[in-house]
Amino acid sequence: MNGLPTSLVRETISCEEFQEKLPELFESGRPLDSEEHLKTCKQCAALVSDLQYIAVQAKLLLPLHDPSPAVWEKIEAKLNE
Amino acid sequence: MSAGQPPASEQPAIKAKPNNQHLRRNPPIAGEAEAIAAAQSGDPRAFETLYALHKRRVYSLCLRMLSNVAEAEDLTQEAFLQLYRKISTFRGDSAFSTWLHRLAVNVVLMHLRKKGLPQVSLEETLEPSQDDGPRKDIGARDLTLSGSIDRVTLERAVENLPPGYRLVFVLHDVEGYEHNEIAEMLDCSIGNSKSQLHKARMKLRDLLRTGQRKEVA
Repeated sequence: MNGLPTSLVRETISCEEFQEKLPELFESGRPLDSEEHLKTCKQCAALVSDLQYIAVQAKLLLPLHDPSPAVWEKIEAKLNE
Repeated sequence: MSAGQPPASEQPAIKAKPNNQHLRRNPPIAGEAEAIAAAQSGDPRAFETLYALHKRRVYSLCLRMLSNVAEAEDLTQEAFLQLYRKISTFRGDSAFSTWLHRLAVNVVLMHLRKKGLPQVSLEETLEPSQDDGPRKDIGARDLTLSGSIDRVTLERAVENLPPGYRLVFVLHDVEGYEHNEIAEMLDCSIGNSKSQLHKARMKLRDLLRTGQRKEVA
């Protein structure tokens, strides 16, 4: 056994079973290309592709802007009270 | 101002995993350790340095959670005032940015609870619902997101996530925190953090695909 739950090493699993295991598959950090289910299920392949794409695109969201100088001025005023 | 022992929920986080440091977006900052030590000794200039180093990330977190500049600035102010009061309790067991983010997250959650917004706590968002379960119909066959989402579109979709989902998504996928750090920040299990993140990505996908369909129509 490779340490994965039995349901992950069976040759055929349903979409529901696959998606139940998807969070831990993502967290395992290993490529999902070799997942048997993805070789035959276009819907789940599209789902995995989208979720990976979202995670990659999220990295482009930093940074936003700085707060206005008034924020520090207010903090300073509070500290001097 | 008193800097007494904080409650258990405000204790510093456990030490972060040492691996994958090269991939982290919150690496140690030059001069930060010295500024922390000086600020703990009451040096106001050192506190100003810490503000300068971390204001953008704290403000960004507040702004993403509230989508309102005035509120985000108020909460940034509150987070740093709390930092000033509690910095003497920082022991360096976790990264300073993680510890500070925990303060900021608590300020944000407190604010959202006061506003009475739904799905503020992780516990609430962990309640299973039909929306969050596995999908049998996973969308149109010939429509995937890849290559089609720009930053503005994704920002808007993130704004529309329920607060509990949004918080974990921002902390993990945007800010680069590990699940063990998020679990410490939010006082939840690592499993809960992973589950929330997955649900957040699934919800984002729904939002983005809905937006795409509207554009096509």
